[in-house]
Amino acid sequence: MLAQHLPRGLKWLWVFPAILFLMFLIYPIIKLAVTAWSTEMLNEFTDSTVWRVALLASGQAVLSVALSLLIGIPIARVLFNYHFRGRGIILALVTVPFVLPTVVVALGFRSLFGDVVPNGLLLVVLAHAYINIAVIVRLVGAQWSTLDPRMEVTAATLGANPFRVFTSITLPALRNSIVLAASVVFIFSFSSLGIVVVLGDGSSTRTLEQVLLRSTSVLLDFPAAFAAAILQLVVVSLVFVISARMSRNEPRAKVVLGRKQISGRKSMWSVRLTCLVAMIVVISPIASILWASISSSGGITLQWWSELASTSNTRIGSPIAALGRSLGLALGTAVLAAVLGGAIAIAVMSKKGFVVSLALIPLGISAVTLGLGILLAFSRGPLDLRGTGALIPITHALIAVPIVVAVATPSLRNVDPRRYFVALTLGAAPMRAWWTAFGTVFGGVMLAAGGLAAAVSLGEFGAATLLSRTDSPTVPIQIARLLSKPGESAFATAAVLSVILMFITMTLLLIVDKIASRKVFT
Amino acid sequence: MTGLILQVNDLMIGYEEALTPALNFSVGPGEILVVVGDSGCGKSTLLSTLAGVNPPLSGEILLGGKSLSGVPIHKRNIGLVFQEPLLFPHLSLIDNIGYALRSSGESHSAARIRATELLDWVGLSEIAGQKTWQLSGGQAGRIALARAIAAKPNVLLLDEPYSALDPGTRLRLLADVKNLVTREGIPTIHVTHDRSEAELLATRTLTW
Amino acid sequence: MYRLVAVVISSAIAISACSSSPESAPTQGSDSPVQVVRMITHESFVLSPSFVSDLRDRGIDLQITSTGDAGTLTASAILAAGVPTADLLFGVDNTLAIRATGEGVFESYTSPEMVNVLPEFNQDTQGGYLTPIDFGDVCINVDDGWFKQNAAAIPTTLEQLPKIANLLVVEDPATSSPGLAFLLATVARFGAEWPAYWEALRVGGVAVAGSWTDAYYSQFTLSGGDRPLVVSYATSPAAEVVFAEDATVTEPTTSVLTDSCYRQVEYAGVLAGAENPSGARIVIDALLSRKVQEDIPLNMFVYPVRSDATLPDVFAAFTPIIQTSTSLPPEQVDEELSSLLDTWGTVMNR
Repeated sequence: MLAQHLPRGLKWLWVFPAILFLMFLIYPIIKLAVTAWSTEMLNEFTDSTVWRVALLASGQAVLSVALSLLIGIPIARVLFNYHFRGRGIILALVTVPFVLPTVVVALGFRSLFGDVVPNGLLLVVLAHAYINIAVIVRLVGAQWSTLDPRMEVTAATLGANPFRVFTSITLPALRNSIVLAASVVFIFSFSSLGIVVVLGDGSSTRTLEQVLLRSTSVLLDFPAAFAAAILQLVVVSLVFVISARMSRNEPRAKVVLGRKQISGRKSMWSVRLTCLVAMIVVISPIASILWASISSSGGITLQWWSELASTSNTRIGSPIAALGRSLGLALGTAVLAAVLGGAIAIAVMSKKGFVVSLALIPLGISAVTLGLGILLAFSRGPLDLRGTGALIPITHALIAVPIVVAVATPSLRNVDPRRYFVALTLGAAPMRAWWTAFGTVFGGVMLAAGGLAAAVSLGEFGAATLLSRTDSPTVPIQIARLLSKPGESAFATAAVLSVILMFITMTLLLIVDKIASRKVFT
Repeated sequence: MTGLILQVNDLMIGYEEALTPALNFSVGPGEILVVVGDSGCGKSTLLSTLAGVNPPLSGEILLGGKSLSGVPIHKRNIGLVFQEPLLFPHLSLIDNIGYALRSSGESHSAARIRATELLDWVGLSEIAGQKTWQLSGGQAGRIALARAIAAKPNVLLLDEPYSALDPGTRLRLLADVKNLVTREGIPTIHVTHDRSEAELLATRTLTW
Repeated sequence: MYRLVAVVISSAIAISACSSSPESAPTQGSDSPVQVVRMITHESFVLSPSFVSDLRDRGIDLQITSTGDAGTLTASAILAAGVPTADLLFGVDNTLAIRATGEGVFESYTSPEMVNVLPEFNQDTQGGYLTPIDFGDVCINVDDGWFKQNAAAIPTTLEQLPKIANLLVVEDPATSSPGLAFLLATVARFGAEWPAYWEALRVGGVAVAGSWTDAYYSQFTLSGGDRPLVVSYATSPAAEVVFAEDATVTEPTTSVLTDSCYRQVEYAGVLAGAENPSGARIVIDALLSRKVQEDIPLNMFVYPVRSDATLPDVFAAFTPIIQTSTSLPPEQVDEELSSLLDTWGTVMNR
């Protein structure tokens, strides 16, 4: 219904993300498919391997979804229902695993569980749940904070015990966000690569992404890679179709602003306990990285930190320069993603649903596929963009946009269109009236989009490794390079860089959350 | 008819500091105590304290002579109706009304039978198949009332109910409420800022 | 609003463009016109900055981009055969080279510098298309300290390994390039009997890691793991000294099981259809120059192919060139790779 309310100047803005997606997503993939096409590709589907792997990966992904819901929902409850000191820090902290380079997370898990849990399904599922806590917490939490707590009070006065209130009232009310978050986690786990390579057992934990990597980079078997990529895209699309059908379309409950203060000793303890558990769960896998950054065979040392800026590290390129570069790329990505996010927000408002569907496609496409496609599409002729350095921020923005869309859509659907008419009747010009009515929400969405995208960009490895210039690596690439060299200082420097990356990411998320919550909630 | 008396002795309510003076009152079966006051004076807090949502700062609440201190919300059997009907959107109308009976362990079919009776009693049996959000404000208000009394609560608390409705509908609903609590003998506390409403309903009024 | 969007996007691109290539500012000073040469390579490519600056002094602006690992690099080159994304490629190795040359990825070139290349490599041009630049060996590394401490005998042959396989961690050949090299080493040694050898390793309790990083940094005893034998590189002991925490460390505590080594050679080639093939040839010659060849060992931890290149002291002392390395004929690797990996997976229950 907001479609008619858009000022003329904004009506066509959805065209912008649509063009960007067609140009940098659809075109490269078609280009890749056309280049690699051969009739052999169809025969690959008669091979049972890809189907078996798809089935195995689905099972693994279902388990990962279940575990991340189990961990994420209590944390979402605490963070989005109560207001307390330190809330922002914990919210930022649980987001860090999501944006850390997977190789760092994987090594952390190895050193934490290596002696207890053997490589295999359990370890992979644990790691996937760990990485995806943020997806559950942020998506479910966003909806949770809009629920009317009096609904639950009403149920309790009708004799429902807390468990029944939760299962019969709260969970159904959160259904849409749970379904969306679960599908996103499913897709991430289904198409996982870094985690299954390091923590998997090579059989029960295989993913199509792994088949794809083996086919492209070991066997150079493009038909097999094609089959894996297509099957993956089909499964991902299927998940979105199913999740769209599972979401309810009932009118949303009225938005209640503000969060409960902690009241009563009992609820305070449950909040504290959940926060404590959340912090232990989030920190322990990365604690070994922190430890590695300040320890050596000789004991505790700050040597690795002090050496960071020195020239002795030129062999792998200057870490400081890489940090500057990563921050620059993150800034570029943030600006681009904010614009994209804003334009998609308008598309959501004007019910151009297909733009939203386009925005979700990157979830189903591996970094290798997208990177190779972009490489082929934009390295020659009039579209030669390799030298410009624009490809990485564009790719990172595309990768980040699905998350942004998922986070922003609920708050946009809650906007009351009558505000626009009130502003119009007060004599504002259409654009100004629109901004008065929706500007704060819109600004919040753009800001959140930019911040999340910057965080994703800081930790992204897969696409960057395909598109970056060798003499100018990003931080995750440099971490990976260091980790592929023997020697104590290589490992320790990688640890130091990971810690810095965590710190920057957390600070960034803290600031964005702070500004966004002011913009959206006041 | 259970006929318990709700008694409040020296009750102080609020969060950090008290919102009211020490309150003393009792409400017997069939009585309607109307609490009148401006918004922000602590009326709603009084109801949520009685229902067990917030603990009192001091004083005691007795139901049938027994203290409610430490009894959780869902074991008090106190019906609470808010300003908005707050129907559960994912449940059918019948399941909304039968919710309390299901909570107390009744079978699905027993709850349905009782809920169907109540739906008939509020005069809405012909729209039983509708979704909650398809109802008019008056219809939703009636469902909310039926839902609150389905399990025969010991006390009924009404927090400015139906204040979003037009005056005609509101008055008709309030008359229904009055008939109901008198007939069923449920002690009732009704909170409002509207003095004329108080005069219409009250057995007694309370102001601070 | 449109203008705003345009400004924002162009500034975003500008910001990231500046930040991603701060080193590529064109130099003034040199009189000759600057020509751009583009090179694609893998993510492990590192040389001293003087490599690029020396070329710039000769009027060549070398732009280097990396494309994943050696395999992904080769895959992308094959996909773009005839319409390449650059002028030359560095980093295709002897297991993949034959596929790339067969798909017409490269055009023929023989560098005049080939006369200075070690005799074992100076005919190794993969049909005249490629120029060998460096070579290295994948070998089992031994944590000598562990064996001394536990008073155990250090193995010297592949045949001794099954009995002590519970001390060994290897990498999955399907996801790791050293893992694949070690598998090929066993195929070269045992021929058709190789599955039985792996069966024995599996029964003996060999650990399989997904990546070199996990094997070396989590499972190798030197890094706190519980396996004193790991599939790594012949130069890893030297790297341990170079990258040691303590500058006074002058001797490695690890050594190489020379019987287990598999030879890997890396090549460069001019891409067929390149926009600047003559520039690409100059860069290949530069890669074979003595200065660059001597720069290679400490940056990439492989050996230069040039016969008169002096090895750094740490290499000379601790990682002599392995004379017993094996390798399989490229045609055999190309033909059998897929079935080798499948059989390996079956044998190892993976």
